[in-house]
Amino acid sequence: MSMQKPSVISDEDFQKFREFFYRKTGMLFEDSKRYFVDKRLLERMAATANESFRNYFTMLRFQASGAELQTLINAMTVNETYFFREEYQFRCLVDSILPELVARRSSSRPIRIWSVPSSSGEEPYGIAIYLLEHWPLLEQWDVEIISSDIDTQVLEQARKGLYASRAIQHLPTNLLKKYFHRAGSHYQISQSLREAVEFTRVNVHDAADMRGHRQFDVIFCRNLLIYFDDLSRKKTAESFFDALNPGGFICLGHSESMSRISSLFQIRRFPEAIVYQKPLEAR
Amino acid sequence: MALKKGQPTPPCHSPGERQEPRNLETLLQTLLDEDVMKRRWAARDLAEHPAAAEALVTRLRHEKDATVLQVIVTSLGCIANEVAICGLIDCLYSEHTLLRNAAIEVLKELPEPVAPHMGKLLHDPDPDVRIFAVNVLESLRHPQVEAWLLEVILKDEHINVCATAVDLLGEVGSPQSRDALRALKQRFPEEPYIQFAADLALKRIGAG
Repeated sequence: MSMQKPSVISDEDFQKFREFFYRKTGMLFEDSKRYFVDKRLLERMAATANESFRNYFTMLRFQASGAELQTLINAMTVNETYFFREEYQFRCLVDSILPELVARRSSSRPIRIWSVPSSSGEEPYGIAIYLLEHWPLLEQWDVEIISSDIDTQVLEQARKGLYASRAIQHLPTNLLKKYFHRAGSHYQISQSLREAVEFTRVNVHDAADMRGHRQFDVIFCRNLLIYFDDLSRKKTAESFFDALNPGGFICLGHSESMSRISSLFQIRRFPEAIVYQKPLEAR
Repeated sequence: MALKKGQPTPPCHSPGERQEPRNLETLLQTLLDEDVMKRRWAARDLAEHPAAAEALVTRLRHEKDATVLQVIVTSLGCIANEVAICGLIDCLYSEHTLLRNAAIEVLKELPEPVAPHMGKLLHDPDPDVRIFAVNVLESLRHPQVEAWLLEVILKDEHINVCATAVDLLGEVGSPQSRDALRALKQRFPEEPYIQFAADLALKRIGAG
C-alpha cells in the first residue's frame, strides 16, 4: 500500500493565494496568519479531492460557478453574531455620524437606520441600546430602526429577542440588567425594545423588495456583501445607494470595502471607523 | 423624542418616487427623464428586460450623470446578451475613465459571453485597449485565460501590454508557461521590469 505524500503549501503558493484572495474579498492575511490560512486551505483541498495546491488554486480561480470560492470565504471568516460586535462602528454612529446628520437637518423628521441582515436581532437591538446609553440627543430626535433578513425563521427569533449567554457575553452587566430579563436558560430583551424595532423580510437581490425600503440615513450592512459574487455585490450596493437619503451613510464589516464594489459612494474617514457616504448633492 | 417603530418606506411621499408602472415601455421612457433619480431607478429595473440592451447602450453615449452610468453598466452586465456585451466592450475605447473601469469590472464577471471577443480585443491596434483586455482577464473564470496570456507575452510587441500580462501569469501560470516566460525575457533583455516580473512568475510557477 503506497503512502500518500502530504500536501504542502509553499511560500510562493501562499503569496499567490493571498494576493488573489485580497483582490476578490479585500481580506489580507498577514504572515502571522499563515497557520490559519494553510489549515483551511488544506481542509478545502481535502474536501474537494485536490491533492496539490496548484490544482486546488486552478479550481478556485476558474470554477465557473464560483462555489468553491464562496465556501472558502465562509471557512476563512468567523461568523459569530453577538451584541456589540464591532462596537467601534456604534461609537462612530454616535460620535461622528449622528452629529453630522442632525447638524444639517432642517426638519424634525425621524432619523432612520436600516440594519441588514438582522440575523437574530443582535445588531439592531445593539444599536438601540447603544443609542439609549450613549446618545443624549435621543431626547430631541426620533430614531426609527428597521432591520431586515431573507430568513423568516431568524426574523421570528429576532422578534422574540431571546438569547443564549454566548450572544450577550460582551454586554456589561449593568446593560444586561437594564435591558434584559431571564427567561429560563436564556435572556430576553425588554418589551419596549422589541416594540421599538421593526423587522421585515428582504431579499437584497430582489429589486421589488429593495424598492420597498427607502429614505434611510444610515445603513448597517456588515459581513453580508462579502458572500456575493462581484456583479450581485455591485447591484446590491446600487440598491443601497437609492435607499439612502442624500448624505446618508453605509457601514460595512471591518474586512469589507465599498471602494472595491462601487464608486458611487464617498469614503469618510472618521476617528472611529471608515464608512461610506452617498454624496450630499446626489439624488 | 425616542426610539420609535418605523416603516420600511415612510408614509410621506418621497421626492422622485415613481408612480408609473414598471413595464418595458414606461421604463424606457423614464430612462430619458430629466430627473437623475428616475433615470437611475429605470436603468436598474431594465436589468430584468433583455430587450432593453440596445436602449441602455445608446443611453451610455449620452448619459452625463456618473451614478446613472454605473447602474447602466451593471444592468448591461446582468442582461449579458450580445448587444449588452458589445456595448460594454465599446466602453473600453472610451476616454471616460469611470465608464471604462466600470465596464472592465463587469466584463470580468462574464466569462462565457466575453470569451468570443477576447481574441479580437487582444489584437486591437490600440495598446491601451489590449491592456484593458488583459485587465478583464484578471478575474475572468475561463479555461483559456492562460493561453490568451501566453499569446500576449509571445507575440505582443508593446512592453506595457506584456508587463500587464506577465504580472497575471504569476498568478494563473502553469508549468506550460515556462518557455514563453523565458522567451519573453529574451525579447526584452534590456527591460528590468520584464526581467523581474518574468523571474517572479517563474518562481511562483515553480520553475526556479
